[in-house]
Amino acid sequence: MGTETPNITVETREKTGSRYSDRLRRAGRLPAVIYGKGQDPIHVSVDEHEMLEALHQGAHVVDISVDGKGSDKCLVKDLQFGWLGDNLIHLDMTRVDLNEIVTINLPVTLAGTAKLASAAGAVLEVIRREIEVTCKVSDIPGEIKYDITDMDEVLTIGDLPLPDGVTPVLELDKHICHVTLVHQEEAEGEETDVNADDAQPEVITKAKEEEDASEEG
Amino acid sequence: MPRMPKRVKFRKQMRGNMKTRANRGNYVAFGDYGLQALEPHWVSARQIEAGRIAAQHFLRREGKVVIRIFPDKPISKKPLETRMGKGKADVDYWAARVKPGTILYEISGVPEEIAKRALSRIARKMPVRCRFVGKRLSV
Repeated sequence: MGTETPNITVETREKTGSRYSDRLRRAGRLPAVIYGKGQDPIHVSVDEHEMLEALHQGAHVVDISVDGKGSDKCLVKDLQFGWLGDNLIHLDMTRVDLNEIVTINLPVTLAGTAKLASAAGAVLEVIRREIEVTCKVSDIPGEIKYDITDMDEVLTIGDLPLPDGVTPVLELDKHICHVTLVHQEEAEGEETDVNADDAQPEVITKAKEEEDASEEG
Repeated sequence: MPRMPKRVKFRKQMRGNMKTRANRGNYVAFGDYGLQALEPHWVSARQIEAGRIAAQHFLRREGKVVIRIFPDKPISKKPLETRMGKGKADVDYWAARVKPGTILYEISGVPEEIAKRALSRIARKMPVRCRFVGKRLSV
């Protein structure tokens, strides 16, 4: 694996539900669930700081020790956020084997400044900050780096230096980023039509009524 | 020209309410940074356009601005000094329903500091309290 697998100790949750989950969050722990490998799902809580640190470092797989007993490799499957989207409130983890093939989102880091994008009116438009790939759990790379200084107008998934055993899910001709020209009229944007406020959209139902009336007539 | 739908099913709409929080369109999806509304409000097509112009003048064709809201709600208003009754008034303007949490604009292709300044200029044109947000963690 590209990054070292962090070891995280979790505690089983005896009581589940929103009220008990809120209490856990206030105490600096995150409610989580672990499932997979044909075993029963278990409700656990994990230290928020420890988990966020692992996720920010790009960890996809973590070594989970439930109540300090044994150790399972778990893939972080899903994250749930609060309503404003800035606080993690719950996470899903699934037990995996090192030889299991999984689908994950890998971040794509673009280094440097594209020469073509430095021209007047040219903008580097990044379409995908991450790509979906399938690979063995043991082959998960940390991130994919690409230097875009000498890139052509378009950088596609096929141009990325993917490690052996890592296959992108999307077609290879899909864009990661491209250099586009910002339209002149869009950039100016101040010339407004004098009668613009009077313009009204077409009413579909009214047209139908008129058609019906003319047919009857 | 202010934005509005090309075709609509009905000319006028009821006012509705915005008592809930946004549970879609509430994360940065297309750009690198976004402007998130913290209050519910109708944002008129003119305000959306004013925000776009403010950002694009500041960015000087450097980054890309994505507008995440569309004014698809017709707002009717009775003329001044008119007696009540006589049916629902004509459409005055078009507005987007903005619930707390909605991402209004997104910016890509510029450093964080520039994006922050551009989005703060947009925020001044908005009728709601807003805040600057980045992309969410993903796995």
